[in-house]
Amino acid sequence: MNTLKRYVRPEQIRELSLVLLIFVIIVFFGAQIEGYYSGRTFNRIAGDVAIIAVVAVGQTLVVLTRNIDLSVGSIVGFTAYFVGTQLARHNDITLPWAVLLAIGVGALMGLINGVVIAYGRVPAIITTLGTLALYRTLLVNYSNARTVIIDTLPKWVPELSRVNLFSLGTLEFRPMVVLAVAMVVIFQLVITYLPYGRRLYAIGSNPEAARIAGFPTPRIVMTAYVLCGALSGLAGFMFLARFGNITVVAAQGMELQAVAAVVVGGVNIFGGSGTMIGALLGAVMINTLEQSLRRWLQISEFWRNALLGLLILLAVASDAVILNRLRTLWARSGLQIKADAVQAQVQEESRHVA
Amino acid sequence: MPGDAKKPVLEIRHISKRFDTTQALDAVSLDIYPGEIHALLGENGAGKSTLIKIMTGVHSPDQGEILLDGKPIRIGNTVEAQAYGIAAIYQEPMIFPDLTVAENIFISHRDQGAILRWGKMYRAAEAILGQLDVHLDVRQPARGLTLAAQQAVEIAKAISLKARVLIMDEPTASLSAHEVTQLFKLAQALRDQGVAIVFISHRMEEVFEIADRVTVLRDGKFISSKLRGQVTPEGAIRDMVGRQVEEFFAKGQTQRGELLLSVRGLGKEGVFSEVSFEVYRGEVLGFAGLVGSRRTDVGLALFGVEPADSGEILLNGKVERMRCPDQALRLGIAYVSEDRRALGLTMPMSIVANISLPMLREYLSGLGLIKRSAEIAAAEQFRQRLSIRAPSVHVEVARLSGGNQQKVMLSKWLNARPQLLILDEPTRGIDVGAKAEVHHMINDLAAQGLGIILISSDLPEVLAMSDRILVMREGRPMGVFTRGEATQEKILTAAMGQNSGAGGRV
Repeated sequence: MNTLKRYVRPEQIRELSLVLLIFVIIVFFGAQIEGYYSGRTFNRIAGDVAIIAVVAVGQTLVVLTRNIDLSVGSIVGFTAYFVGTQLARHNDITLPWAVLLAIGVGALMGLINGVVIAYGRVPAIITTLGTLALYRTLLVNYSNARTVIIDTLPKWVPELSRVNLFSLGTLEFRPMVVLAVAMVVIFQLVITYLPYGRRLYAIGSNPEAARIAGFPTPRIVMTAYVLCGALSGLAGFMFLARFGNITVVAAQGMELQAVAAVVVGGVNIFGGSGTMIGALLGAVMINTLEQSLRRWLQISEFWRNALLGLLILLAVASDAVILNRLRTLWARSGLQIKADAVQAQVQEESRHVA
Repeated sequence: MPGDAKKPVLEIRHISKRFDTTQALDAVSLDIYPGEIHALLGENGAGKSTLIKIMTGVHSPDQGEILLDGKPIRIGNTVEAQAYGIAAIYQEPMIFPDLTVAENIFISHRDQGAILRWGKMYRAAEAILGQLDVHLDVRQPARGLTLAAQQAVEIAKAISLKARVLIMDEPTASLSAHEVTQLFKLAQALRDQGVAIVFISHRMEEVFEIADRVTVLRDGKFISSKLRGQVTPEGAIRDMVGRQVEEFFAKGQTQRGELLLSVRGLGKEGVFSEVSFEVYRGEVLGFAGLVGSRRTDVGLALFGVEPADSGEILLNGKVERMRCPDQALRLGIAYVSEDRRALGLTMPMSIVANISLPMLREYLSGLGLIKRSAEIAAAEQFRQRLSIRAPSVHVEVARLSGGNQQKVMLSKWLNARPQLLILDEPTRGIDVGAKAEVHHMINDLAAQGLGIILISSDLPEVLAMSDRILVMREGRPMGVFTRGEATQEKILTAAMGQNSGAGGRV
């Protein structure tokens, strides 16, 4: 048991239980819905999850530092629309340039968030609530309430979400899904193996100690926002490729989905703990549950927010209760300072009893 | 043992530092030798903390210089201090609860390379902890480590940074006896490896157990620095005291009235225990003790902020259970906090609003609205009575001086017409004139028949103002002295637990 405790952290138990939960959901709905196990179900879920997962990766970077970014939905919407109009106007823009443009616009928006929060010391929730509205208004104003239409885009754009890179049985893997998985893996490696990533954890875990340890906290936090913006920009491009027709309300409310994925995936909303894998699992769990419920109960898309809200509450509450219990359990075992210290303590205690 | 031929690793030369009205350090000079445990002694406010903060780059000195290996250095921040090999561990260790033990040890290293090698880091962490003979699982998150283990991690961090000067600021304050022994073993092992250790503790017996050299500061001035063999606990205490009482307003004799408050065996798990005392009407009971003596916690328990979990509180002979401040207030107990900013006053609000706040229900009209005129009249009355210097009672409290803020705070609680007034550090951070006024006021209030508990770290103040003095040490009462028998030496001796059989560690 103790060796198990040594190599498995309470957080990993949470991720394992998510995998189990996803499995249970799939089995349950497989029995309820006819034709559930099909390539089409997989593609619909995977296509949605891919976009949310990329945004959730960026959100995780920010949340690890005990901050939050509520403007991601507007950034996704704006970049999707902006890149869409550029592609419609200049049909000769190639794929790499389009992606770079999306990432650049997103990073710039993230930079604005980061500077105001890290250097201006404005609370993150207020700043990004403000830019959530600002970036959306910018989109409305820029678009003149027109929409991007799929037929005006170069042919390769909608192709991106249709072509099949490789297949596993009947499951087809589209480029967007592969890209999302790549982002999750890359940023998981970043937060595990780069000093920068570890500092994100440190700042969220104990800001005061981070200050005393001499970390350039503002710069690290700002960079997290820039990365979050850049990833949202990338997600904006993926959004464009998936839907083609972009209106001014594109990706509205995606911040809620991203935060839900992150929190359900076990990233602590108070910073300091969580993984990219967890955030991905969170996104998969939420999307699978949502789409399956919609098919099963024939309910409308408007129920989505209620479901998201409920899942966030459940996740945070279970964090507070279950994870804290697990942590104390873990902390109690195997962390004593010395074997003879334990003995001395026992002796001391028995003396008190006597 | 330190040889005299050794050169000091760190020399502190004529360091001065001033905060507003207080001269925290006044031309202090100190030599710190390698392979030596150097204890710093002094009362509260003697300047130990300021000196440490200057050595670790938290504050910069107004005057004077610091020499490392004979060369002058400027320490701009904690990172630079670490680069010079100066590290500090505090009573509350600064750890990252979500990171592993190994990461906590190596978090400040700048030379880990571009990619973190976990295996290597775990092995290095194990090697350092092994060298200290500490057995911790380096893969575990630091969350849940005992305080002693957290300190061990901090010490390991200092070693990994090749610290040459390790400052330990009251490291033993919250450790058990066994853990203290462990910590001392660590400190001695480091000393034998040539590290200079600056050790700060309020426990005399610890200082004389471990220190090679004992330096005493008093009122920001350097008093003495002697090898352990040349100094006795009594001598050190004499050096620490030596201040004159005459600058204080002495309390006049008032008639002791009937018994107001009686506390029996009051305790709170892990905080204080077995606290018993009485307060009579017209009497000032002083609470003396050093930092960590838990005097404030007893005050907070009486006021119901942090209720006690054992013992009895009798007010006017009736047993009362204090559960919340609201209840305490209704029973006529008021608590004037030591922390004006955090607990006492609402800074952006006016004097009027602050004073009427606890008693708002008395200023309501029939419709349940606040009667402004009554509120203002009450505030005006206090402004005259306590001579609060402000252009009007509508001024924001934040714009007043510390002394006047203190008076507003007193007004606020006096407005509640208490029978028992608990004053926690009422004169901290205010100038001499305002101090004398506060002392006058305490005297007047006692003469009016209030019972007063005066918690103060200012020993001469406690001696001058109190009829009786309760001395506390680490959550336990060490005895009650009457005005006649109390001297600074006696009180400090009791507060430090020296030569008294009653004291024991928690």
